[in-house]
Amino acid sequence: MTASNLTFIIAAYTVTWIVLLGYLLRLVRKGGRARADYERMAQQRGGGKSQ
Amino acid sequence: MSLRLDGELISSFGNSGDTRVAPPPRTSAWLAFVAFGALIATQTYAILTSPPDRDMGNLQKIMYVHVPAAWMTFLAFFVVLIFSVRYLWKRRENDDLIAASAAEVGATFNGLTLMLGMIWGRPAWGVWWVWDARLTSTLVLFLIFVGYLALRAFVDDPDQRARWSAAVGAIGALNVPIVYMSVKWWRTLHQPPSSPETLDPAYTLGLRINAIAMLLVMIYFIRRRYEIARLERAVEHMTEAAAMGGR
Repeated sequence: MTASNLTFIIAAYTVTWIVLLGYLLRLVRKGGRARADYERMAQQRGGGKSQ
Repeated sequence: MSLRLDGELISSFGNSGDTRVAPPPRTSAWLAFVAFGALIATQTYAILTSPPDRDMGNLQKIMYVHVPAAWMTFLAFFVVLIFSVRYLWKRRENDDLIAASAAEVGATFNGLTLMLGMIWGRPAWGVWWVWDARLTSTLVLFLIFVGYLALRAFVDDPDQRARWSAAVGAIGALNVPIVYMSVKWWRTLHQPPSSPETLDPAYTLGLRINAIAMLLVMIYFIRRRYEIARLERAVEHMTEAAAMGGR
């Protein structure tokens, strides 16, 4: 395996994992925010019924 | 007042008029562990066991990420096509949310495919990019779905957003066969499609298992994105109900 080819192979697998793990991280963060928004909204609507 | 999120209750609390939309079930974390674990295992297997190609040498190992990423792009956009058409036909909100989730995941795989193609093209062809039919049509596909996601971000009215994006999604996905057939219809620098039928048997198993692992990752991504989309939509429903005095 020539050194230059090895560089491109390593680059390809690195890019793959950066993209996949980056998207996973985005989903985890976005999911956390969405669930927190949902809980807050549900609490406001449920909590206000006796007022 | 009671709300329905696509036929699914939602909830109504006695006579108080209070409405809360039921939250979607959480996507299991085990699916993520299985999918990413499988990807690590299959990539390791393919890298360590596949012999150098006669022409490309070890550069061939890029195939195990580039080709599955391209297949997942096609598959995700096929899901967009199916659920966009179904939305236009039945107007079920969940179909819109599934199509949108698959579109975002498909665009991610599409971007990855383009980047991996450039990384492979530089040592194999001597250039990062050429405007041949395969690369250009793949880029056009990517831009269509970036436009799709931008459209969803900018349209506030949920019905209008769903209708417009279903139309763009269905039309955009029709580009997939053009991308696939481009290497047969036109003379391209890109090689003909790689598949287990066109490959040396030494590479077939590695490609198949990597495609399956990538498929698991894609399924996890779409399920997780759909869960988030439903949460966001539930919040929108509750906000609309509150604005209409449906508290």
